[in-house]
Amino acid sequence: MTYEYFMSMLIPMLEGAKATVLLFVLAIVLSIPLGFLLTLAVRSSIKPISFLAQTYIYVMRGTPLLLQLLFFVFGLPLLPVIGEYLVLDRFVAATLAFILNYAAYFAEIFRGGLLSIDKGQYEASQVLGLSKWQTTVRVILPQMFRVTLPPIANESVSLVKDTALLYAVAVPELLHYAQTVVNRDFTIIPFFIAAGIYLLIAFGLTVVFKYLERKLQYD
Amino acid sequence: MSFIEVRNLQKSFGSLEVLKDISFDVEQNDVLAIIGPSGSGKSTMLRSLIQLEQVGGGSILVDGDYLVNNGVYTSPADSKKINAKMGMVFQQFNLFPHLTVKQNLELAPKLVKKEKAKEYSNRAIELLDKVGLASKADEFPSRLSGGQKQRVAIARALMMNPEILLFDEPTSALDPQLTKEVLHVMKNLAEEHMTMIVVTHEMEFASSVANRVIFMDDGMIVESGSPDEIFKTPKEQRTKQFLNYEMNE
Repeated sequence: MTYEYFMSMLIPMLEGAKATVLLFVLAIVLSIPLGFLLTLAVRSSIKPISFLAQTYIYVMRGTPLLLQLLFFVFGLPLLPVIGEYLVLDRFVAATLAFILNYAAYFAEIFRGGLLSIDKGQYEASQVLGLSKWQTTVRVILPQMFRVTLPPIANESVSLVKDTALLYAVAVPELLHYAQTVVNRDFTIIPFFIAAGIYLLIAFGLTVVFKYLERKLQYD
Repeated sequence: MSFIEVRNLQKSFGSLEVLKDISFDVEQNDVLAIIGPSGSGKSTMLRSLIQLEQVGGGSILVDGDYLVNNGVYTSPADSKKINAKMGMVFQQFNLFPHLTVKQNLELAPKLVKKEKAKEYSNRAIELLDKVGLASKADEFPSRLSGGQKQRVAIARALMMNPEILLFDEPTSALDPQLTKEVLHVMKNLAEEHMTMIVVTHEMEFASSVANRVIFMDDGMIVESGSPDEIFKTPKEQRTKQFLNYEMNE
């Protein structure tokens, strides 16, 4: 195999990898804060808010991501009355589905993180006169974030691989280009290249999260 | 007028009455020890004073202001002011694990009192020195022994310049050696006339450092008086039984 031929496979795949990475970055950056808001909603003392948030998490975690993707990309425009306003760019619709789906998982991770914090931390904050907001931001969140880093890292790696689901809604990404070359040239090599790129991204994430874990270590 | 006046305090968890008609006073400079068997309500009583527990009835008057008057709490803004006069030290220390020792001390003065960095930093060093832990200023709590943690917790409470310190079984999680170093710090505070209420199982501390002792059992104050009265000439049968048991431990 010549270098030129290899590059002719690699370059369109790298193009596809751009979509993969863009989706990953958008989804992670937006679903984490949204997930945290969901956690707060679940813990809300206002019953309807808590109930809605719990139902939302149940639905998003209880149905396949692929189904949600198909719904957002192809299903939304079919809704009666409002459907015609919901014809989104396929990439945008898919990204939305990813954000909304992963937010539900992050919400559960954060909920677990909050549960792990001893009630003595709240009591100590209270007797020192800290407000609820100060307690949350200065005492609880830093500890919660430290506890939830490993599961967040885990979800991130899952997210990288789940981006391949874009294939099913015909948004060109890494796997799409690999498959195209496989079909065109009848060679299996692009699959290995694709696997290599996914592994590379996963490796990068592992390094970043390991660094964060060490940086936030306090025991 | 006493610094703290507690009148007819009541509290129930469901149908279980944990505080039954508790009344007592604390004067400025008092070191009040509260002793009694586990489950007697002494921790609940202490925690009620600083609003970690809501009471069902009765009154708590602190420095002339009602925290609770006949079961009705004052406004959140006022109760915050009242609580700020008190500091609390917990059995489990409750240090902030993600902050260094010095940051633990500085957090509240910085956020709550909006003090200048120089001011709280100097005081933090001063107080760490006072509890013998100046060398640990930049360590995380997880690197400290239990006794050291509790001394940091005491320094942290002192950072807010409270007029009274509440101790909730401060040495119950410590072995005898570490207990000693914590009691030593508390003894020094008593000698500087810090007003303190100490819920404790340390009879030796109660008898030698406290100027008044309350014996609680089953949600009630059974007997109170000077250490000599309680430890040498207890009047009530229940007090005698409890002390016999504790002394033979």
